[in-house]
Amino acid sequence: MKIVIAGGYQAADYIIKKFKSKQNKLIVINSKREIAQYLTKSNQIPVFYGEPYKYFVLDEANVEDADIFIALGNVDTDNFVSCLLAKKVFNAKKCICTVNNPKNVRLYRELGIDSVVSSTQLLATSVLSESSIEDLIKTMSLENEQIVLTEVVIKPNYDIANKRIMDINFPKQGNISCVYRKPNVIIPNGSTMILPKDKLLVVSTPKYQRDIIAFIQKSK
Amino acid sequence: MKKTTTKKRSILKNKTLIIGCGRLGSSMANKCAAERKNIIVVDKDADAFDRLADTFGGFTIAGDSTDLSILEEAHISSAKEVIITTGDDNVNLYLAHVARKIYDVPEIYVRLDNPENEVLLKGLNVKAIFPFELSYDKFNLLRGGHK
Repeated sequence: MKIVIAGGYQAADYIIKKFKSKQNKLIVINSKREIAQYLTKSNQIPVFYGEPYKYFVLDEANVEDADIFIALGNVDTDNFVSCLLAKKVFNAKKCICTVNNPKNVRLYRELGIDSVVSSTQLLATSVLSESSIEDLIKTMSLENEQIVLTEVVIKPNYDIANKRIMDINFPKQGNISCVYRKPNVIIPNGSTMILPKDKLLVVSTPKYQRDIIAFIQKSK
Repeated sequence: MKKTTTKKRSILKNKTLIIGCGRLGSSMANKCAAERKNIIVVDKDADAFDRLADTFGGFTIAGDSTDLSILEEAHISSAKEVIITTGDDNVNLYLAHVARKIYDVPEIYVRLDNPENEVLLKGLNVKAIFPFELSYDKFNLLRGGHK
């Protein structure tokens, strides 16, 4: 794979070490002379010195047809333009743009960047899923947080325990997509019985997540 | 985020939005104001508005234009034209993309110092101004005139 790593300090260093192999062709670009020297020394690879949002720098570094272009600079708009240049002019297959402002994640995607990453947003998501409502519930979000997967373990005192799904009148805003009953995975239908200790995997929108959890945990 | 509105806010129809109040932005703002157009000027530095003429009758908003909330405060979605003149080409390119793809402003003008950046506006229907090329053309014209 041809991977271009533009900007960044520790992050660039980490990614270089992670992907440096015979199969991967790494092209590293950095606009700070000291960092470029450090990266060269620490990884024994050539580093191009220059701003990755400039045409002649990318041209000189020969980034044409890269499989992945990663922009790790400190300034969001600089990263945006680097990715745009890589995609539009140098035909990069996939661009990954890191941003400081979490609000830019959605925006940059709308503007055509393949993948946008914000460490702040990842942190917030991880805090949310770690601290979710009660400790026996795990959640995971998909598609830009428009879909959430919630995992709930059924206790014997729950109202829905020992009932069939067709009889419990499950909220329409969610769907029990999977029941894990050790060691089996059951794709449920209306006649599936919910038993204590079952692990339910529920798909819903974030808006109704609380309501659905409340419904499942309602006691007899 | 620093965000102040120095003059009364109101929804202006048919307005011109000028982003960046440096020498280029401020002189355009002054010209447009003299023509009695509705104008909103945005700059991240409130001191930049000192460049505006005493007679300037438009609105000013101090804030970072790369933050969408500032653009919305400036009612970008109802602007008839936006003129992007900050000193940073990357910010200008980004704002041009936002103005076209998110708000679809009818007329978009953008200042670019580096002519190579024009390729990044391809297919976007944005009009670019290159101060460097303009100076160069003027120089040639002047030199030609003295032959």
